[in-house]
Amino acid sequence: MRSSLSTVAYLASVASAARFMLHMPATQLVNPSTLPSATHATLQSSGPPQDAYITRSNSFNFNNVSTGSYLATVHCRDYAFEPLRIDVTVEETVEGSGEKKEMIRAWQTFIGNEWDNKGEGRGEGGNGLVVEVKPLGQKNYYQERGGFSPLSFLKNPMILMALFSMVLIFGMPYLMENMDPETKAEFEEMQKKGVMGSGTTNTAQQIQNFDLASWMAGKTDSSSRGASPAPQSKKRG
Amino acid sequence: MRSHALALAAWLATASAIFLDDAYHTDFHYALLGLPKHDATFFQKPYAASKASLLYTVSDNGTIGAVNPKDGALVWRSASGPSSKGHLRGGDEQDTVVGAVGDRITAWSASDGRIVWESRADGAIVEDLEILEQEDGITNSDAKDAVVLLADSSPRVKRLDGKTGRAKWTFTDSSGDTPFQVSTSPTTVYYISLHSPLLGGGAKLRVTFLNPVTGKKTDSYTLSSEGEISTKDNILFAGANTAAPLLAWTDKTNRVLKVNIIGTKGVSSFNAPANVATEKIVLHAPNRVNSLAHFLVEYQTATGHSAEVYHVDLKQSSVSKAYSLQHLEEKGTFATSTAGANVYFTRLTAAEVTVVASVSEGILGRWPVNGSPALAGAYPVHGVSEVVVKGDVASAARSAVLFSNGQWALIRNSEIAWSRPEFLSGTVSAVWAELPEEEALAQELAEESHQNVVGAYIHRVKRHIRDLEHLPSWLQSLPPRVLGNLVGMSQETTVEDIQHDSFGFHKLVIVVTDKGRLAALDVGSQGKVVWTIDLHQFASDATFQSPSLKAFRGYVEVKDVDLSGSLFINSTTGGLLSSQDVKTTLPITTKGETLVTYSLVDGELKGNLGAGPSFEAVWTFTPPPGERIISYTARPAKDPVASIGKVLGDRRVLYKYLNPNLVLVTAVADSARRASIYLLDSASGELLHSAAHYGVDVSRPIPSTLSENWFSYSLTIDSASATTARGYQLVVSELFESPLPDDRGPLGALSNSSTVQPTKGEAAKAYVLSQSYQIPEEVSHMTVTQTRQGITSRELLVTLPASHSIVGIPRQVIDPRRPIGRDPNANEQAEGLAKYAPMIIFDPKWHLNHKYELFGVKNVITSESGLESTSLVFAYGLDVFGTRVAPSFAFDILGKGFNKVQMLLTVAALFVGVLFVAPLVRRKQINSLWTT
Repeated sequence: MRSSLSTVAYLASVASAARFMLHMPATQLVNPSTLPSATHATLQSSGPPQDAYITRSNSFNFNNVSTGSYLATVHCRDYAFEPLRIDVTVEETVEGSGEKKEMIRAWQTFIGNEWDNKGEGRGEGGNGLVVEVKPLGQKNYYQERGGFSPLSFLKNPMILMALFSMVLIFGMPYLMENMDPETKAEFEEMQKKGVMGSGTTNTAQQIQNFDLASWMAGKTDSSSRGASPAPQSKKRG
Repeated sequence: MRSHALALAAWLATASAIFLDDAYHTDFHYALLGLPKHDATFFQKPYAASKASLLYTVSDNGTIGAVNPKDGALVWRSASGPSSKGHLRGGDEQDTVVGAVGDRITAWSASDGRIVWESRADGAIVEDLEILEQEDGITNSDAKDAVVLLADSSPRVKRLDGKTGRAKWTFTDSSGDTPFQVSTSPTTVYYISLHSPLLGGGAKLRVTFLNPVTGKKTDSYTLSSEGEISTKDNILFAGANTAAPLLAWTDKTNRVLKVNIIGTKGVSSFNAPANVATEKIVLHAPNRVNSLAHFLVEYQTATGHSAEVYHVDLKQSSVSKAYSLQHLEEKGTFATSTAGANVYFTRLTAAEVTVVASVSEGILGRWPVNGSPALAGAYPVHGVSEVVVKGDVASAARSAVLFSNGQWALIRNSEIAWSRPEFLSGTVSAVWAELPEEEALAQELAEESHQNVVGAYIHRVKRHIRDLEHLPSWLQSLPPRVLGNLVGMSQETTVEDIQHDSFGFHKLVIVVTDKGRLAALDVGSQGKVVWTIDLHQFASDATFQSPSLKAFRGYVEVKDVDLSGSLFINSTTGGLLSSQDVKTTLPITTKGETLVTYSLVDGELKGNLGAGPSFEAVWTFTPPPGERIISYTARPAKDPVASIGKVLGDRRVLYKYLNPNLVLVTAVADSARRASIYLLDSASGELLHSAAHYGVDVSRPIPSTLSENWFSYSLTIDSASATTARGYQLVVSELFESPLPDDRGPLGALSNSSTVQPTKGEAAKAYVLSQSYQIPEEVSHMTVTQTRQGITSRELLVTLPASHSIVGIPRQVIDPRRPIGRDPNANEQAEGLAKYAPMIIFDPKWHLNHKYELFGVKNVITSESGLESTSLVFAYGLDVFGTRVAPSFAFDILGKGFNKVQMLLTVAALFVGVLFVAPLVRRKQINSLWTT
């Protein structure tokens, strides 16, 4: 890497002015002719970035680009675009011939990754190279307001629970009445034994004596401390 | 990679965004151009077959733009140019306009502002630009070529191809003349320059003839104007594109007007009206090829104006006066318009618009102008107009007029169709001010608190009785308000008076422009200009350069380098207050306290005891050798903190390091490409924390901000550090008293401590946690939202100049405690911490400006509103933008999503249900009593 760095530094001293174009093709996702005129592309390397605004032919023209490695970004109000790495170098056309010309190479690049971690190539060539830029997706600035619909209302778990208990309250008496006498007697026996009853009263009591403050404080000790004052107060009341 | 992004996206979905129905209602945006330039403003059809025309202009800050003359909405605009000298021309029946700002010559698509071609003049400044309308007397129907004049050490005239912008020919002037202008006629291109003789004195005007096809010099002549002309400013006009292009100049006292028909050597001389001193002479001439060769000379005096119309006889090459328009004792101006060959002059004053034809002085149309509050007290400075004439009567006239108060307005017949507050484009400083009602109440309350108990009580009762007088009107306004609320009419549109502002959204922002104009905008009602004044009326001899504002209760203080002392302006009316009226409210220091002020002096940050630089320095912060301080930021004066600690997932507490005197200093070392950050205590001058970043592009801005117990800054990575990631970084650091939870550090047990005189040897230093992120764009400015009590989580507001937007980054996204390299455990999840990702992609939902494009934002200021959930945001620079943000959602106000009708219907339905169920229940209870 160090050697390549020094070559870059050496090449930078050679005066060069490369010229290339970022072009936005019409795709199914985006019709580039509808983009606002403030859409522009920047080339960042060192110092103020070079700026190119969108042209009538949906491209960004960069002229007089000196050698170096650039981060190219397309800024648009409506769409997000992938960032590119564009390297401009001066190379000999035929090795040993001494004739030099600018070479432009473009790759995909990733934000938050090493600069050498290049993605797919996006073009390579001499002056006048056309690099296509691809939109990643449309920008959606707005948040949808959750509108009211009866279905979403019914999907609410609270409503479902309420409906279920309604069914129980209204449906149970009919069920009981329609039961044959034997099962009915059996059921009443079960209720007296307290298979269903005792459990429920206990949990109800627990809920009543629930100590919010200690729960918030993260106390996990047994219910003896938390619940003990509560029955007293109940007696007093 | 992808999974990262997905996880991030899923987690960000919780962040607050703008609702579609709130956008364009709770926020406002003035998309400004700047003050339009007279000679480069015109109506034109964007393409040949277009029915309506647009209004094109180039402004004083080099922005080229098009405005719809119907409603004043901006159609397109370019980025502001590097120089204030801009040129813009549009050829007849062309779909492009050609503009030149600085060294860039650009052809813009006239209808949408896309670039057609661009040409760089390589360092030379474009002095003038013309379109070749005709070539050898034949109108060119294709793209018309442009002729540009480049000012350089050797001035050049270039003809640029109308399709590609390539030079067809170049004429280089090596005579050493000062280039002035180019002018074209159907057969010749004239290059006008100022020829200064070697031995001082005035300048001669030299006109050089160029062949439009080859660019070769065919002839030249010199006019002896050395008696009058010394600089370019003495030349009034060099007419463009008329059949008889004119060259007119005047002497320094504006007494004599000299006119030369370009191409001939004769000079006609006319005297200005002698009875009053003429301050300025303006020449108005049509710029169409086929129009009559008539022109109007406007004489402006200190209080009024008059005009004379001249006719040019092309055959005899003579100029003669046709008629004069009488002197009016009010300021006004003229505009030229053409219809076929006919030329019409529109006289514009604040009260009236009149149209006359160039051939005779009979008035064709007269419209009294209905005043507008935006234009009160202002007079027209310059304008352009379009006139519809049927027979001998002007049936309609519309004029785009720049008024003296910086409003650019369109007068359509009698009415003001729209006005654009273009003066706001020069805003250099802005502050928040309280509204009159609140100020009055605050004053009353302050009065009460200074009285004894009985007196205060009587005062209070009196005040309440006085308030009762508003009751009838309040009761009257109640039904429409309730009805409006129910029907869904938002109160934003109906709020006219600010009395109903129970949420505190209506706050005034006082702005001051570089030209010394002060204005107050109501952020809560779409940025309405409440009042505006020119500071020159209070300080007539001062020239304002970069005035700065400071807000006090009920008034603002204006300061400028050129201003002796400062001006105090009432923030609710814009009236001047004398310094006696202003109760000097220095920061209150109780007994035993001393004030330490600090300022940047000679590259060192110095802390002084007491206000003012004359006091002794108590501490000095000098950056290491090779570094220079570029900026410093302090905590906002009002920065309430709701909680002194951060509760962790396991209910333990990390205590925040809260110090009101924090100062963040940014310094850079140019050669080492290093940026250093120093956190100081401004009371003791002690260094609390420092950080250095290498491989930084130090020529780019390093914005920083400081709030509560955290600070952030942003850097641009230099290309030389090629092995690491490239792009832009955002660094966020948070200060805690101790790295351990439930621990308050060395000073925890002390009840008193001092940073100036630390008792325990070494004062407590903060424990700093930092994380940095890659961000996709450069940040030019950053600030933090403010709320009333600081309970609402904060948002970091960053200005992105490249994408013309302001983004609010939620605090939890940039929490430096995000776990690195592992998924958050249960406790961290409970805190809402997500796994660290090295980059932050700006979610479009974070953009405060949504579809607005904010150009040239220099500063963003925030303020609390009446609601804890909401912070007010105001951005200025070129554009002006205001909005409100609720970083933790609007938890204390019902949004527009709340359906009041539905709520009422639900209540009614429940009531009906109760009516039905009640008898059933009663019967059941009775039955149960009887059966058991």
